[in-house]
Amino acid sequence: MTAQALVIGRELDRLDGLWEDGLSDTYRSYLDVVDSYDDAVQPKLALAAALIEAGIRLQGLGGRAAPAAALLMGDLCLARASRLLADHASQDLQVAFARAIEEMSAAAASGAGGRPVRDLLVGAFESGR
Amino acid sequence: MIAKRLRFKTSGTTQFVDITEQLRGEVRRSGLRVGRIHLQSLHTTVGLAVNENEPLLLRDFESLLERLAPSGAGYEHDDFARRFDIAVDEPVNGHAHCRQLLLTGFTTVLVEEGDLVLGRWQSVFAVELDGPRSRQLAIQLDGDFREISSPRSGEVARSAGGGHLLPSATVAQHLVELELTRQLMVDPDPVAVPMRRLVEAGGKRLRPRLVQLSAQIGPKHNPLRAAALAAAIELLHNATLIHDDYVDESTHRRGRPTVAAMEGAERAIAVGDFYFAKATRLIAEIGNGDVTSTVAEALEAICASQIDDVALRGAFPGDHDSYLKVVRGKTAALFAASCASGALLSEANPEAVEALRRYGDLLGVAFQMADDMVDFSPSSGKPVGLDIRQRVLSLPLIYAAEDREVGPEVRRLLAGTLGDAEVERVTELVRSSDALQRVGDEARGLAEAALRELEAVDLDGLRPTLVGLARSAVDRNS
Repeated sequence: MTAQALVIGRELDRLDGLWEDGLSDTYRSYLDVVDSYDDAVQPKLALAAALIEAGIRLQGLGGRAAPAAALLMGDLCLARASRLLADHASQDLQVAFARAIEEMSAAAASGAGGRPVRDLLVGAFESGR
Repeated sequence: MIAKRLRFKTSGTTQFVDITEQLRGEVRRSGLRVGRIHLQSLHTTVGLAVNENEPLLLRDFESLLERLAPSGAGYEHDDFARRFDIAVDEPVNGHAHCRQLLLTGFTTVLVEEGDLVLGRWQSVFAVELDGPRSRQLAIQLDGDFREISSPRSGEVARSAGGGHLLPSATVAQHLVELELTRQLMVDPDPVAVPMRRLVEAGGKRLRPRLVQLSAQIGPKHNPLRAAALAAAIELLHNATLIHDDYVDESTHRRGRPTVAAMEGAERAIAVGDFYFAKATRLIAEIGNGDVTSTVAEALEAICASQIDDVALRGAFPGDHDSYLKVVRGKTAALFAASCASGALLSEANPEAVEALRRYGDLLGVAFQMADDMVDFSPSSGKPVGLDIRQRVLSLPLIYAAEDREVGPEVRRLLAGTLGDAEVERVTELVRSSDALQRVGDEARGLAEAALRELEAVDLDGLRPTLVGLARSAVDRNS
C-alpha cells in the first residue's frame, strides 16, 4: 500500500463504499489538476474536490432532492472536504472552494442551471493557488 | 438602571409562584454584575416572599394564611351594599387583601457576580392570593453593569440614540444580530429569504454567546472579530437545522414552517448547502487556521452523528451509550467548538482553550438532555410528543423504556405505529415514571461537571456569566 493510499484510506471512514462507486475516478482526475500544489497536500486537495463532487451528487443539489440517508451522506462528504481544506489548504483556496459551493447552491435554489461542478472546482484551484 | 415588568399567569386561588429563575434571567440579560433587583407587586392581592420551595411547606404557608385570614369570615370589604363605585366583576376577596397585609408588596434581592445573592434554600415567590389571574410585578435593576466583561472589551457602550448606557453583554448580542443581518442582506433572495425567516424567528443564540464570552479570555480580544465568528457559527448551526428538518420531516421550527415544508426539499438542500459554504468561508476569512480547523472538525462530527442518529431509529428508543455518542456529535461538538474557537481567536493559553472545549462539550450534552425534557413539558409552547412522533433519540424515552413498571408498555407502543393516541399514552407513561427526574438530575450533574472544568482557569471575571449560562441551559422549559 502506498503512503498516498494510506492517507486516503484514513479519510474515507464511513465513505468507503463511495470509493468504488466513482469517487476513486473523480479523485484521480483531480490529481492532475493539483499538480502545481505542494506534493504533500496534493492527495488531500484532490480528495477534498472529489468529495465535494460526490457530496452534491448524493444530495441531488440542483436536481431532484435525495432521500434522507443520501442527503446525510452527502453532508458528510462536504463536511469532510471542508475539514481537509481547513487543515491543508491556504486561506485563499478555502475561500475559493466555499465560493464555488455558494455559486452552485445559489443557482440550484433559484432553479437556474449553473456552471458544471468540475469547472467551478477547477476554477477554484486556479484562483486559490 | 433598567426598569421592566415581569408578567405571569396564575392558575390557583392561592399559589406560590417561584420567580427565581425569571429574575436570574433578567439579571443575566441586563448584564448587572453587582447591585440590586427591586421588586414591587402591582396588585393588592399579590404578595412577595423569600422562602424555601418545598411543596409541603408551601401548603403549610397556605394553611397558615387560611387560619390567620380565613376566607368567608365576614369581611366588611365584601359587604357590597355599604361600598361605593363597585365594579360589576368585583370579587369577594376581603380575605385576600388581609393576607396580603401579612406579606409584603416590595422586596429587594442583592446581586453579586452577575447572580442573585440567595441562600441554598431560598427562592423568591410572587404569592397569588386571589387567582387565577394575569399578574405583573415592577422590577428595577440598578448597580454596576460595567464589570461583566474585561475592560478591553469595552465595558459599556452608548445606545444608538445616544441616551442611556447599554451593558456590554447587550452590545455583544447586538453585534451578532447586526452581523447576521448584514450577511443575509448581501445574499441572493432564493437562499437569503428562507434563512432570514429562520434567523429572525429567534433561537437561543447560545453558540454565538459562547463564542463571544470565550473570545474575551485571551489577550487579543476583538469584539468585532468575535461577532463575525459568532454569526458565522450561528449561520452554520441554522444550515444544519435546515437539512435536519428535511430529514426529520419536520413541518415547523421556532413556530414557523420549515424551509423544506414551505419551499420544498430541493430548496432546503440548496439553502443548507449555501450557508454551510458561506459560514465556512466567513470563518476562513477571519484568518485563524486553528479556529477554522476547530469548527470544521465539529461540522464533520455533526454530520457523522446525524447518520448514526437516523440509523439508530431502527432500534428506537436506543440505549444510553448510543444516545451519548450521538449527542456528543450532534449537539455538543458545536458547543465545544464555539467555546474553543472563541478562546483561540483571542489567543488564550492552551489550557484555557482545552478547559473551555470540555466545558462546551459537557454543556452541550446537558443542553440536549434538557431539550429532550422540553418535549414532555406542556408549558414549553412546542407540541408535546414531537420527538416520539419523529422517533428522535431522547433520553427520557430511553429511561422510561428501561423502567420496571412502565417500560414494557413503552417499548410495545414504540415498536408499533405511533398515532396520536399512542404518542399521548407514551407521554403519560414517561411523565408517570421517574425518567424525567433522572434526566434532569443527569443534566444538572453535567452542567456542574462543566463548571468544574473551569475551576483551574483564569477567566478574567467571566466565571459568573459562564456559571449562569450553564445553569440556565439545563433549567428551562422551552
